[in-house]
Amino acid sequence: MIQKKICLLGAFAVGKTSLIKRFVESIFSDKYLTTIGVKINKKALSISNQDINLMIWDLEGEDDYTEINTNYLRGAAGYILVADGTREKTLDIALSIHQLAQNVLGNIPAVLAINKADIEDQWLITPESIDNIDKNLTIIKTSAKSGDNVEALFSTLSRKMLGIEE
Amino acid sequence: MSAGILEKLYADLNFAVFATTNNELFSCITDPPIWLKHFYPSINKGSQLTQEELPAFLQHFIFDAQDHWQRKQQGHLNSGLWVEEGPDDADWHLEATAILVDNNKLLLLSFNDKDHHSIQEKQQLMRENLLTQEKLELEVHRRTQQIRDREEEIAIRLISAAVKRDEETGAHIRRIGLYSAEMAMELGWPLSQIEDIKLAAPMHDIGKIGIPDNILQKPGRLTEAEFEIMKDHSRIGGEMLAGSGIPMLDIASSIAYYHHEKWDGSGYPEGLKGEEIPEAARIVAIVDVYDALVHKRVYKKAIPEAEALTIMEDMTQNHLDPKLFRVFLSILDRIRKIKQQNQDEDL
Repeated sequence: MIQKKICLLGAFAVGKTSLIKRFVESIFSDKYLTTIGVKINKKALSISNQDINLMIWDLEGEDDYTEINTNYLRGAAGYILVADGTREKTLDIALSIHQLAQNVLGNIPAVLAINKADIEDQWLITPESIDNIDKNLTIIKTSAKSGDNVEALFSTLSRKMLGIEE
Repeated sequence: MSAGILEKLYADLNFAVFATTNNELFSCITDPPIWLKHFYPSINKGSQLTQEELPAFLQHFIFDAQDHWQRKQQGHLNSGLWVEEGPDDADWHLEATAILVDNNKLLLLSFNDKDHHSIQEKQQLMRENLLTQEKLELEVHRRTQQIRDREEEIAIRLISAAVKRDEETGAHIRRIGLYSAEMAMELGWPLSQIEDIKLAAPMHDIGKIGIPDNILQKPGRLTEAEFEIMKDHSRIGGEMLAGSGIPMLDIASSIAYYHHEKWDGSGYPEGLKGEEIPEAARIVAIVDVYDALVHKRVYKKAIPEAEALTIMEDMTQNHLDPKLFRVFLSILDRIRKIKQQNQDEDL
């Protein structure tokens, strides 16, 4: 089976761990519990008859005092950037991490998840700012709470990593 | 220090220590602590683990550790914390340290739940505080925006009162504010002042409200006496808007009062010269002339932009601030966009 390492990157409290928990264990909790360090989860997927084992690295979110340890990115075949639709600056943080990841990893597959789609009416990330994002970056509106597009998020990245056209 | 003392030290610190010679096999050289048995129930002192048997995070860290050992670097290399699932699905925070002792490549694994819980609690508290701070900042921003919206509404109503008696169009008034804000942005003004000038600039001619209809709406040329009365609109406007203590109205007052001053000092009401004229008024003078030239009015045709810019270039000899005019030229594409998006509906 093909094994691929992927990383979830973004500001703190945007829902990286929640997206992984929803995807791997189909569970969700409203309680915010910050991630310290790194946690690795595994999940096997079948994409267009190809089996793939994802090693999902949940990295501690970035804040004013904590920056991503770029050593953790080594060996990643793709990454998911996560922003919280209700917190405008988390999009800027996700895009700056994208730059950093590109510098470290080169142009590997990446997907941007704008999370909390279940409360899209409260989003402060505007359609205009989403429109302005580099068109090469696939953007998916997700909700770890409702589960909307969570499977699609990981399968989209997997397809990209396997070189399967959408 | 004897091996026995070291063993005791490792046990007290709850460390598991592995040694490797080839970076592929890792021998446990201490009595394994109880927590390690959760992951490797049959492990004992002397047991060997292959690299593949190590936790995924550790397999990744071994690359950095190898580099550290190979370079024979002083000191130790920490992996940073990582999480493994302990009993009852509890998150266990572990940390690895690579160290070279007398050419022995050692890997120390530590688990100190108490310390890590304390780190987690502090981090949790700090991040919850950051989230609260973000929410408060957002609320302040929302309330400030409400005040700004009210100011805008008042400004629009004031301007409407003046416009009704004048030839100027609503679109012209709006454009003046937008052009001025672009200029202020290019000049590096603080954001709050950019917002202020956007609302304040359109009020530059508000003093015309105090000019009699027979002069303001006179179709032909004004006599010298009539022009003297007309000139008074800048004083009237400046005084109308002065003294509120509201930053936006203070700028509006300054613009209204000084927007007919000229670079060479030949303007009115005070004959100020050069940079004595407030920058906001010098900005509005430029954008007002541009907009008036390139748009048609009931009494005149629009002039092609290139011709308008030539006229304005000439005006930098005596009327317009030459430096600000160059700034204006540098953002001409943005000015054109505003012009395009805010066309007169009634002409």
